[in-house]
Amino acid sequence: MKITVKCFSQVKYALETDELSLELNPGQTTADVEERVRQRAGKKLDGVLLRIAVNRIYVKEPRDLEDGDEVAFIPPVQGG
Amino acid sequence: MIITPNELQQWVKEGRSFQTIDIRTEEQRQEFPLSALEPVASSVDALPSTNGQPLVLVCQFGVVTEGIILERELDNAYSLLGGALAWEALQTEKEDLSRWSRQTALPELGIAGQIKLNGARIAVVGLGGLGCPAASILAAAGVGSLQLIDGDRVELSNLHRQPLYGSDDIGSRKVTAAARRLGTQYDQVILETVPETLVSGNAKEHLNGADVIIDATDTIRARLVIDHASRVLGIPMVYGGLYRFEGQVAVLNHHGSPGYRDLFPEPPASGEACAEAGILGMLPGIIGNIQALEAVKLIAGIEPTLAGRLLIYDGLSHNTTIMDISTKE
Repeated sequence: MKITVKCFSQVKYALETDELSLELNPGQTTADVEERVRQRAGKKLDGVLLRIAVNRIYVKEPRDLEDGDEVAFIPPVQGG
Repeated sequence: MIITPNELQQWVKEGRSFQTIDIRTEEQRQEFPLSALEPVASSVDALPSTNGQPLVLVCQFGVVTEGIILERELDNAYSLLGGALAWEALQTEKEDLSRWSRQTALPELGIAGQIKLNGARIAVVGLGGLGCPAASILAAAGVGSLQLIDGDRVELSNLHRQPLYGSDDIGSRKVTAAARRLGTQYDQVILETVPETLVSGNAKEHLNGADVIIDATDTIRARLVIDHASRVLGIPMVYGGLYRFEGQVAVLNHHGSPGYRDLFPEPPASGEACAEAGILGMLPGIIGNIQALEAVKLIAGIEPTLAGRLLIYDGLSHNTTIMDISTKE
């Protein structure tokens, strides 16, 4: 199945894109997607907390994904 | 030319002669009856004779009559600022609200919302990139009292994004310089300055009594301090944060909506403030104004707000994404 990853703030700069398309196996969760995002970023997201939204709704626990889901990664931003 | 309700009231008191033209429909007249004025005609063309007396043109909100005077190049004619709505507010509330006539004309705000704004007290925590535009537009909007909280001093590198300060303010307390500028621009706002950094030991004391808190700080630790006080005191907090071209806004701790700790529960091991990450001044200008808009909506009771939702604005693509953060899961 295929999902879309939306990258915000540091994630966008770490992956050098604001959107990715990922191929997943059935049963894979948001935790698996986060692992792939962090691997792809090298060390650039080490120590950065990532909050996740599935289809624009925050999820606090790992969640099973379905074909066509949109998974967003939102780090906290400090600036003001 | 325009005339304010206060000035026209003065004319009435002094017994000055003038002729009132009420161009409104019957339905509009019933809504705001124009008490104490006696219109002699319903259009400039229907006026019997001006006899050299000044004309006062009245419409519902004072916008149409300004146009008529300009278009017809009428001499010795005045448009009543804020129209019948502002005139009626002066009769009932004993207050001239006509300087806000362009916003009271909004049915969502109206005179009732403006009166709430005039009586409101908003705490602005942080007078940097977000706090400058937020405090400025809130003072302009007629918020009764602003509490400015920041322990920092103005630096040269602040000036490109913090338009309340100029070169002369470098080295001054931000709250002092901001209050000086705002006090000059807006004479009706009460400004209270707190030249301290908000910490858990003083947050509740300083924020107590505010109707809304604007979180315009630049560290996650400071945001968690405000979040705690906001929750304990039951005062909604309008969060704003920035990263390069991206900004976030949410209304937190409002009628049970999530707080900052629900959004981001722990201070990060790393993270960049504007100083390290870089920022253009327009981005905090946009985000600070969105925060101020949410504060006005909270005070005036205008729905919907960003309670339970996180707005993410991207200044490169201009895409705006709104996430539902109200989930308890």
